[in-house]
Amino acid sequence: MATVREKGYSHWDGRLSARRFPWWPITRTGIQLAFRKKRFKLVFAGAFVPSFVFLVGLYISERLEDFKAFVRGSDRLLNISPKYFATYFTNDSFLFLIVLVLAFGTGGLIADDLKHSSLQLYFSRPLGKKDYFLGKMSVVAFFVLILTALPGLVLVIFKLIFAGSFKFFLTYPWLPLSILGYSALLTLFFGFYVLLLSSVSKNGRYVIILIFGAYIFSNVLSGILQGIFKIPALALFSIPSNLQQAGAFIFGQKLPHDVPAAWSFAVLAAICGLSAAVLNRKIRSVEVIK
Amino acid sequence: MTASQAVRQVFGFFGFLGRRTGKARVFALLGLMPVVLAVVVRIVFHSRTGPLASVFTEILMVFFLQFYIVILALFYGTSVTAEEVENRTLSYLITRPIPKPAVVLGKFAAYAALMFVLVAVSLGLSYFIMNAAHLADPALYLTFLRYLGVLGLGILAYGAFFTFLGTVLKRAIIVGLVFGFGWENVIQYFPGSTQRFSIVHYLKSLLPYAPEGRSAGKGVALLLFRLEPTSPLLSILALAAITAAFLALACWLFRIKEYLYEE
Amino acid sequence: MSVVIAAANLSKWYGNVLGLNDVTLELEEGITGLLGPNGAGKSTFMKLITGQMKPAIGTVTVRGRRVWNNPEIFQGLGFCPEHDVFYEDVTGWEFLTGLLRFYGYAKSEIAERAARALAVVDLTEDKDRLIRGYSRGMRQRIKFAQAIAHDPDILILDEPLSGLDPLGKRKLIRLIKEFKNQGRTVLVSSHVLPEIEALTTRIVLIHQGKILAQGDIPFIRELIEAHPHQISVRSSDPRALAARFVGDRSIQKMTFGPDGQTLVVETHKRDEFFGRLTGVVLEAGLEVEEISSPDDNLQSVFEYLVGK
Repeated sequence: MATVREKGYSHWDGRLSARRFPWWPITRTGIQLAFRKKRFKLVFAGAFVPSFVFLVGLYISERLEDFKAFVRGSDRLLNISPKYFATYFTNDSFLFLIVLVLAFGTGGLIADDLKHSSLQLYFSRPLGKKDYFLGKMSVVAFFVLILTALPGLVLVIFKLIFAGSFKFFLTYPWLPLSILGYSALLTLFFGFYVLLLSSVSKNGRYVIILIFGAYIFSNVLSGILQGIFKIPALALFSIPSNLQQAGAFIFGQKLPHDVPAAWSFAVLAAICGLSAAVLNRKIRSVEVIK
Repeated sequence: MTASQAVRQVFGFFGFLGRRTGKARVFALLGLMPVVLAVVVRIVFHSRTGPLASVFTEILMVFFLQFYIVILALFYGTSVTAEEVENRTLSYLITRPIPKPAVVLGKFAAYAALMFVLVAVSLGLSYFIMNAAHLADPALYLTFLRYLGVLGLGILAYGAFFTFLGTVLKRAIIVGLVFGFGWENVIQYFPGSTQRFSIVHYLKSLLPYAPEGRSAGKGVALLLFRLEPTSPLLSILALAAITAAFLALACWLFRIKEYLYEE
Repeated sequence: MSVVIAAANLSKWYGNVLGLNDVTLELEEGITGLLGPNGAGKSTFMKLITGQMKPAIGTVTVRGRRVWNNPEIFQGLGFCPEHDVFYEDVTGWEFLTGLLRFYGYAKSEIAERAARALAVVDLTEDKDRLIRGYSRGMRQRIKFAQAIAHDPDILILDEPLSGLDPLGKRKLIRLIKEFKNQGRTVLVSSHVLPEIEALTTRIVLIHQGKILAQGDIPFIRELIEAHPHQISVRSSDPRALAARFVGDRSIQKMTFGPDGQTLVVETHKRDEFFGRLTGVVLEAGLEVEEISSPDDNLQSVFEYLVGK
């Protein structure tokens, strides 16, 4: 016998199918929200300026004869080797631009959820803490990888195209792996770093200040300590210095500070560990009001 | 109620609120860093006064001048207006019988006072710890007041500029960060008049040049690197003009602008 | 009665979106309900009359004085905003006394007024608790308290009953009526029709930025002559009753209720029908248990006007 339903609410009796990536809607929404901010697109486009500059450098390096008049003495500067790529990935302005993009585009990832008490909305769906965390982390990963791995690999490809041979790749076959490895390190570190600070406050402006402030403060503190005590190991207090140490190690270059690279990796891992511990405590479906 | 009375009442209200928030405690904790460093340095270098004095003037002042007051002014300055719009509490203020500019001026004054206290405590403790061996010297106190005056003027100038940014822009914090830690850090090292297009140039022009115990001009202090100083009088006038101009602009904009809450 | 709030050709754009469309209206003393669905323009209108926004076209005045950038009018005007927001980490007492500072009162008077306002909204015992820890109802009441603490003549309340439980609603409705009984003027907005009906018979209907109707509910109903009135007659023999009226040209439509005991008639000429009904009932010796007008309420008036 057919069931006749009234117009109005009727309970859905269907079966939920398990999604392979339940965190994907969180990631997709996070990326869309970032691009909706008016000036973010400008900032994001600006973050590609270093890649463009280095791409031009690659081109000039293959056409030095043509540009000799403009670039006297640059054959040393434009010697394309893993050092060129290490310089690209570890220079201060590039790392600063990544922090700027992340502060602007992803600072509110958890802060906005706390502000609008949305955590309950997430966890009333078939989502666990792991899915929530993966979804948010993937937003950061999207932006960092687009600014690091993508232009890095494109630079290698363009080098091969401009050179017209695979010689560069055969000389440095591990270079793409270094690019991917360092991009993964930056992604992981900045993911934990941004999410940690985003979970600390409901105030989006304060979170942006924290993301920038902690990054710059670590550098200032390290500079002050090194200025006073003249101990190279004090560079470990600086986030950008640790990232540059790790980058130099991954690209097989001379370390910028007289400190074992393993210590820098340990500091970065410690920050990630602290972040994981704080996030595990902060992200819960019930808010306790004292 | 007169405009000045209104400003006083707004000052009182936000002075109370500003002290209450957790963020003030975080910034106070940040201000403890130079104090802790001062203690550590005194313990390590307790027998050598030269390095102690230079540590304060050449190193710790970098923290105060190029980081601490900038980050404080950036947060509190943009908060004057942006905080009310983000938190949707603006309705409580502009539906009271007080002129709109009084809200800007009163809140700015309250936050400037709070920042000044945070900086003064941090500066005072770190300075006198570093110079504990010379507490009987009256010149020490004059120098301290001079440093405090410079940082106070910095709070006012940066605070006014960021207040203006917060009144006119939705995402003032990003522009503020680029200005405070990008422009200010780069332009001050440009030769010639270009340096004068930064607030920090005028602040550095007011600093005592020679650290305690050293003859003037010996070595080049980090803080004064490439500085082509402006005269102290002109520097004070410039900073006062920057403060007054940006506050006036902020008041005018706040009076004529409508602020819509994001739904 | 004098005009308290007057709007003339008031219009407001949000970019390309027209929030308020050529609104001309005068509000007098007493309680006026501003009724409309979400997005109708109620909050826009409230923000214009409380000086939070500037009119794009037209004027709005309170007691003859313009509103925009005229802070003096707020000495006699209290506003209760729609949003459930407060300053962080303050108690109810601190919130009230903090805002009362802006009226130029002495410290003792501030304390007195705050205490009185808290007593009115029944929050005296909770005054030293952080607002963060208040229930939704308590937060609505403290918002109401900040609007009345300075004894304004005019009270503008934007969705004051939203989010309250039935008991909370009753309390606040009682407070608003008491306020009106003291001779004040109240403008209340809501999208929930029974709330407005409980407060007042005088309403302004707004939809898509336009004023659809203004006046007493029965008066508005009378105006809508194009729409026939519904009259429900509960009787022992509705079919016999229907048979008596079937030839009557003033009757548009007749239907029977699902219980089989009710006759529902639609007519343009309500008074004429009632006149005939009495005669018919007496002639036929029918028993009539109940006569009512199902559509003589705000819901049906509103639904008709917005074309739903």
